[in-house]
Amino acid sequence: MGVMINMSFEKFIKQELTGWMVAEGEHADIVLSTRIRLARNLRDHLFPISASQEDANRVSEALNQAVETMQDHHFTGTTMEDLSPLERQILVEKHLVSPQLINPEKHGSVLLSEDEKISIMVNEEDHIRIQCIYPGFQIDQAYEHADRVDSELEVNLNYAFDETFGYLTSCPSNTGTGMRASVMMHLPALTITKQIERIIPAISRLGMVVRGSYGEGSEALGNIYQVSNQITLGKSEEEILKDLESISKRLIAHEKKSRELLLAKSEVHLENRLFRALGTLTHSRILPSAEAAKCLSDVRLGIDLGIIENIDMTVLNELMVFMQPGFLQQYAEAELTSDERDILRAQLFRDRLGIERSSAQE
Amino acid sequence: MLCENCKERPATVVFKQETSNGVTERHLCDKCAFYSQTFSFSPDQEPLSIQQFLAHWLGGSELFSEQKADERLPDGPKCPNCDLTFHRFLDIGKFGCAECYETFRGQLPRVFAKLHNGHTQHRGKIPVSLNERFALKKKLEDIRTKMREAVENERFEEAATLRDEANQVKEQLSDGGDDQHVI
Repeated sequence: MGVMINMSFEKFIKQELTGWMVAEGEHADIVLSTRIRLARNLRDHLFPISASQEDANRVSEALNQAVETMQDHHFTGTTMEDLSPLERQILVEKHLVSPQLINPEKHGSVLLSEDEKISIMVNEEDHIRIQCIYPGFQIDQAYEHADRVDSELEVNLNYAFDETFGYLTSCPSNTGTGMRASVMMHLPALTITKQIERIIPAISRLGMVVRGSYGEGSEALGNIYQVSNQITLGKSEEEILKDLESISKRLIAHEKKSRELLLAKSEVHLENRLFRALGTLTHSRILPSAEAAKCLSDVRLGIDLGIIENIDMTVLNELMVFMQPGFLQQYAEAELTSDERDILRAQLFRDRLGIERSSAQE
Repeated sequence: MLCENCKERPATVVFKQETSNGVTERHLCDKCAFYSQTFSFSPDQEPLSIQQFLAHWLGGSELFSEQKADERLPDGPKCPNCDLTFHRFLDIGKFGCAECYETFRGQLPRVFAKLHNGHTQHRGKIPVSLNERFALKKKLEDIRTKMREAVENERFEEAATLRDEANQVKEQLSDGGDDQHVI
């Protein structure tokens, strides 16, 4: 029995809920998820950027063998070529693979753990990208898990490592630890009060980056930001994680304070905004994704502040993923135009939030 | 016009975004426009693309011209394993294989210093297999130091024992030699 069994891979695509969407972990009201990514390469193979299909296959084969001998982990894998474009898109929407892995010109594959917390991307920019996602604020837990998988893999693989430069990666911005640690945060109050514009440049001076879902500018889709380390060389994993933790904690504290200020300053205006957002989500007939994201952010804030009740945060997390084009089309079992998606999205929000509210009131 | 985000595919969509400075317009390809509409985060997005960074900050500057004079090679040193030249490395911002690091070793500290806030040396995790070799090398050094001390103090019997110990460690090191699969 190999690890590349496509039948069993189906569940990763069909099932919309994944580990990081469960609202748990510390500071789950603000931190959605914590992610660690380790980039590794094999010494005796060309990096994916210069590798042929045969080279890529050999790397993928070496990985499958290494994974099979692992004691504590069970992985299921597939090549990207064996998935339909829609299926690939769904894996991206669930954050299980990177957008780069699904590039049809590349020969990427992925190995996923049962609980979807670990995905090992093969032949992305590097031969191996170990990604570990945990819900909420769990930097140490996520790193420890990724580190364990890395150490187990290493037993059977010949990693490219240099005494001076550390882990050798395709991009010089990853050389050293090969680690990118990131925390995904919902920061509506810092955005509404425009403080985020001041904070982003300040944090970048500390070797960390804050970016919105679109990668730059201060406006983030749904007020969701990602904080991650910029530097991978010259600092140990522990130091990087500690820096990330302290900066994240400061952001959390700032956000909480801003929320209190917003409440104190004009409670009725805030209430008005949050309930209107809920109304939009529960009564729209056409719901474009940008508007849905904005309203989701407001409703989430409403729940955190205790203004909106009887809505489960996990349902909101689920909707955030489910409202994306790939999932909507899978749900409809059809290719949809952008207008059709907006109509289906509206229906989906009405259904999910409607059921949620009526069952909670019973 | 090329997509402003990936700079690979032609721009087909005008993406408008409200910011504090008013509405900004970005010309994007279908794919980048799609991702801009989802919650998809890639931890690897660079705020400034690495290619631009290397090309603008280093490519045209003294780093490369110095190299040209030294090597008398029009494109700088060339990796014998994957054929990547240093010039091309600055263009694409990516190494082609592990061997490239060896080939460009002399130039790399300056590249890394720019990218990693002045740092040029790895501190952090070391693969377990390498770690053990490090430990053995260190042990060998320690034994040799003690051996010299013993000789200087004319404790010849102790020195002989230490010499045997050192030989054992040396053997262990050469056993591990090329086979890095051994833990």
